[in-house]
Amino acid sequence: MIDDVNRTTLPQAKEIAQAGKLDGIGLKRLVEAGTLWLKANQQLVNSLNVFPVPDGDTGTNMLLTMQAAYNEILHSDERNVGKVAHAIAQGALMGARGNSGVILSQLWRGFARALDNFEEVDGEILIKALVEAKNTAYKGVVRPVEGTILTVAKDIATAIESFKGKPLSMEWLEKIVFEADLSVQKTPELLPILKQAGVVDSGGKGLFIILEGMLRYLKGQSLETPTTSIQPITAMNLEETMEEIEPGQDFEVVVDFRPHQPLDLDRFYEHLSQMGTSIQVGEGDGMYRMHIHVPTEKRYEPIEYTMSLGTITKVAIENLLAQMEEKKNSRPSIEFPPCEPGKIAVVAVSPGLGLSRIFASLGVNAIVEGGQTMNPSTEEILKAFENLPTDQIIILPNNKNIILAAQNAASLSVKNVKVIPTKTIPQGLNVMLRFDPDGNLEDIASEMEEAINEVESGEITTATRSVEINGVKVEEGQVIALLNGQLVASASHLEEACFELLKAAKSEERERITLFYGQNISVDEVHQLAEKIQEKYPDHEMEIHEGGQPHYQLIISIE
Amino acid sequence: MSETNPLGNIFVSHRAIASIAHMAAIESYGVVGLAAKNLAEDLANKIVKDPSKGVEVEFKDDGIIVDLYIIVEYGTRIKMVTSSVAENVRYQIEKWLELPVKEVNVHVRGLRISDTD
Repeated sequence: MIDDVNRTTLPQAKEIAQAGKLDGIGLKRLVEAGTLWLKANQQLVNSLNVFPVPDGDTGTNMLLTMQAAYNEILHSDERNVGKVAHAIAQGALMGARGNSGVILSQLWRGFARALDNFEEVDGEILIKALVEAKNTAYKGVVRPVEGTILTVAKDIATAIESFKGKPLSMEWLEKIVFEADLSVQKTPELLPILKQAGVVDSGGKGLFIILEGMLRYLKGQSLETPTTSIQPITAMNLEETMEEIEPGQDFEVVVDFRPHQPLDLDRFYEHLSQMGTSIQVGEGDGMYRMHIHVPTEKRYEPIEYTMSLGTITKVAIENLLAQMEEKKNSRPSIEFPPCEPGKIAVVAVSPGLGLSRIFASLGVNAIVEGGQTMNPSTEEILKAFENLPTDQIIILPNNKNIILAAQNAASLSVKNVKVIPTKTIPQGLNVMLRFDPDGNLEDIASEMEEAINEVESGEITTATRSVEINGVKVEEGQVIALLNGQLVASASHLEEACFELLKAAKSEERERITLFYGQNISVDEVHQLAEKIQEKYPDHEMEIHEGGQPHYQLIISIE
Repeated sequence: MSETNPLGNIFVSHRAIASIAHMAAIESYGVVGLAAKNLAEDLANKIVKDPSKGVEVEFKDDGIIVDLYIIVEYGTRIKMVTSSVAENVRYQIEKWLELPVKEVNVHVRGLRISDTD
């Protein structure tokens, strides 16, 4: 099996490039090169996979197929190119893995057939071979899907026809690789699911990589360091790199920097690969982000190296093993009550984990995360209930800004959807008390709507600017209190704001006060506050829950 | 397969499932046709174009069993093609109908030889 070092035997490559014809030995070297380069870029190709089926890991599958193909000729010094091609095709056939592997084996089959028993390949034969490869591949399926490896094979065959009559040279391979690249870049235009996922077709990319490897070999370029493909920073897959921690890689180092001069990516990558693994480079607004996993003793090397190239703006080092431990012990995810087919299901928008848990305990079947600004899109809301096994849905927006998106989702869906216009979390929680999954959708929905105003909703947060509303003057940085969405008080201390809020809500006439505390307040502070509230309202019932919401220190429900 | 909801009953026919399985099979690489199970069915198909030819669906308590009768392109790795088809069919049925698939059995009824090697 070829699985070790770089084999750019330069003189040989030069010979092949200048020969004007390709013989068995030459083909063998090219296949070797293509396979090595695919090996180096295996993960890149794997990462493009969008379908859960049928191709598990396109990169790995194509690599295994190519390795099986190469194994057939590994020990051969056959000069007859036709015979070598047939052996390759046979190996690919027997060793084909995954869908892409099978298609790849078909391409080789067609290619080999055109090469027949020829001693050498010249330009004319090569053109025929590429066409035959494409035809054979297309024959293997009733409904060929465009925007895949098939399209790339087709585009190469079409493009190379323009070289007819010219002598075979490296230029041909350059043209082939160039066209393959173009074709790959166009695949999202042909296959909507690729565009949605923001990737190019994995099989097509795999084929391109194999061909590129052949060209790199002829040019004497390295086949070891993976393609220095730079991705937008937003596409960097840093979460997943956690899953594959190799032994000896103890620390994750991420460095943001501005290089003094245009970055020589090849060199950059080469240096980094001396230090560690799982290397990703992303490009952002005039800066780069470098990510790498290194062993403990090398944990500062990436930083020092990057410092020599430019100005570092940010460094993050994480102990990977500790991170893994944390992940294991971290909060268990929420258990939602399962939705019985045909019964009413409820989808609620929630800004915090604690609140989501409470919703779940009240019977909510799905949560849409509200996020920092509490603005999920119509699509996110739709997605939440589309796959529930019922067509009776109730949505609780829990924020006046989200009511519209929820109503949009309701009108777009084919399901029977009712939006209960809850404007606050306490309203959302309260209406759940009226919920009955077995009931009639219309009846339950109107009952829930009636319950909206039963509860007074309070919110405590910090003012982000100075303003005057409702006769209340607010300075940036002060603590403000909102009652049912309206500003009612501002104060320099949280406690003061709370009491103003409770007064405005006429809490004396009520019975229960519930505090949901968020991310920006300490548990101690909450408990101290609760004690003081209880002192003032001794006959009221009090409850404290962890809401986990960002932005609002406290959400208060007064009933 | 049927399920009850407050409004009434929902029946998903064998035919509906077979159509989805048929589509999934025909889009799978390596599959160049679906075959009828026997001669009588074949004749019947010539008279009435059946969108589920080559597919049989059976319902069990814990899921659906699908049998596919396919024709594979000669020269491809048959084992790979069959596992791809099986996975594809399972995935499509579970995605579009949300019904559990217990088994997908692939029967290779023949090979099509497109050209001589």
